[in-house]
Amino acid sequence: MSFHAFLKDKSLLLILHFSCMCVLAGFLQVTGYRSFNIILILAVWLIILCCWIIVLYRSRKKYFHTAGQILEQVDQRYLLGELLPDSYRLEDRLYRDMIRRSNKSVIEQLRRVEQDRRSYKEYIEGWVHEIKAPITGISLVCENGRKTSSFLEKEAFRTLSIENQKIENYVDMVLYYARSEEVYKDYLIRETDLGDVAAQVLEKNCLILIQKHIRAEVNCTHTVFTDQKWIAFILNQMILNSAKYCCDTPVLQIYTEHKCNGVVLTLEDNGTGIRPQDLPRIFEKGFTGAGGRDHERATGMGLYLCRRLCQRLGIGISADSCPGKWTKLSLEFPVSSFITGGEPLSFENVR
Amino acid sequence: MNSKILIVEDDAVIRRELKLLLENAMYRVAAPEDFEDIPVLADREEPDLILLDVNLPGCSGFDLCMDIREKTDTPIIFLTGRTDSMDELNGMLKGGDDYIRKPCPAPLLLARIAAVLKRTARQESVPPCFVKDGVRLDISRCCLIWKDAPIDLTRTEMKIFHRLFQTPGEFVARAELVEELWENQIFIDDNTLSVHITRLREKLRSAGITDFIETKRGLGYRI
Repeated sequence: MSFHAFLKDKSLLLILHFSCMCVLAGFLQVTGYRSFNIILILAVWLIILCCWIIVLYRSRKKYFHTAGQILEQVDQRYLLGELLPDSYRLEDRLYRDMIRRSNKSVIEQLRRVEQDRRSYKEYIEGWVHEIKAPITGISLVCENGRKTSSFLEKEAFRTLSIENQKIENYVDMVLYYARSEEVYKDYLIRETDLGDVAAQVLEKNCLILIQKHIRAEVNCTHTVFTDQKWIAFILNQMILNSAKYCCDTPVLQIYTEHKCNGVVLTLEDNGTGIRPQDLPRIFEKGFTGAGGRDHERATGMGLYLCRRLCQRLGIGISADSCPGKWTKLSLEFPVSSFITGGEPLSFENVR
Repeated sequence: MNSKILIVEDDAVIRRELKLLLENAMYRVAAPEDFEDIPVLADREEPDLILLDVNLPGCSGFDLCMDIREKTDTPIIFLTGRTDSMDELNGMLKGGDDYIRKPCPAPLLLARIAAVLKRTARQESVPPCFVKDGVRLDISRCCLIWKDAPIDLTRTEMKIFHRLFQTPGEFVARAELVEELWENQIFIDDNTLSVHITRLREKLRSAGITDFIETKRGLGYRI
């Protein structure tokens, strides 16, 4: 609030004062006062007016400054109404009252939306758990079918298994998306052998990967402290992504390395690769790129979810690629000196 | 004697298929349809392992697990569609031996059941012995024995033979062999399988065994 703007705001009042001064001067002149006295009276008036203006300006400035600071500091700005400094002024009190009422309705609206969202999320989670029963049923039927029936039927059961596995993967995406907000609520950090997790994920998708004639090499010798379930999901997405954009003789390599600030797990494939101009955007929601549009349906959700979960888990994720040759997706697990017990660069957790 | 497994699962399809799966894997299986007296049943039937669903009509698997624990020390594996980490922790704390999330690939399920059974085995199990046309597969030493001379095998070759020896005289589809290998954490494609088979044949020929592995184009291999 500048002084200039303040004066402009008070211009009507100033005009009133000045016109009153003129009228008074005229009146005194007519009633025969001497000019010196008139000037003295007007000067005193002017001084009092100036003092009043300055004091008012300062008090208003202070008030709004405090309010502005509160607005800066508070993390929920819609709570301003509750926090405005007390003021004896009628206007301030009226405004504060109105802001409060308006804020209250915003808060109510927020609560309602939040509640809707929560109940929707709970429903989705419940639904995912329900749908897993029939998926399990189908997968068991297929598994038994593949062992016992004739050659042709086996093929049919295999196809069914593959499709069922795809359904499971999509359903998992829904579940993890719904949960990604609150990773911390569903967390079980323990020492995790990355090789085991990688093998588990490959095994789970074995029919899909075999169908694409994929060969995989796992060379993970490091263990990290993290949540197995989430890592398995992230790795699952990464592997399925690689499988989607594979070449004619696809090879997946999964290996870990110990770098200065942690363990890095890399998934390398020899697929179509990512164009350099797409590289910074592959983790964006809904980004499919040229590769995605030519290939199978791409949702643009898989890698987005990976990054989102990685952020929540404190894991770094990055991608590098040479189009037509290779693509590397890396997960970087920070190894803190707190966990490994002293030396930040300790190789204790190398088996 | 084969191990006996008690399945406590409310979904009829899953129960039936699990029973079939486990029976195919040579276990004896009991799958009650009524969950009123599971602890009593567990006591009477004396199973070697209990597969327990968590969400059961009228009661929770966790509570059931505690009731069973009061009577017996039978190993319990939770099998559930719930994916919450807290549930898993709960399951372990209530006395479960393992916790498997549905849907779980059947080979993994069998492997984990076998692992728990092995850990809690009441008697030593003898590894099965495979012999065909005088060629013996020695699993513990990872070799083939022919005329008292061992032929060393790699891990992959071992797994291939293990599968072929299980059904002597029957063709095993290439896809099936590849799947079997993937389930044993050997992630190869079918061209690589051909390479392995060729190498195996070479190995057998140099040891003096000819035409042991028979190929049928488009179908697979047999011994």
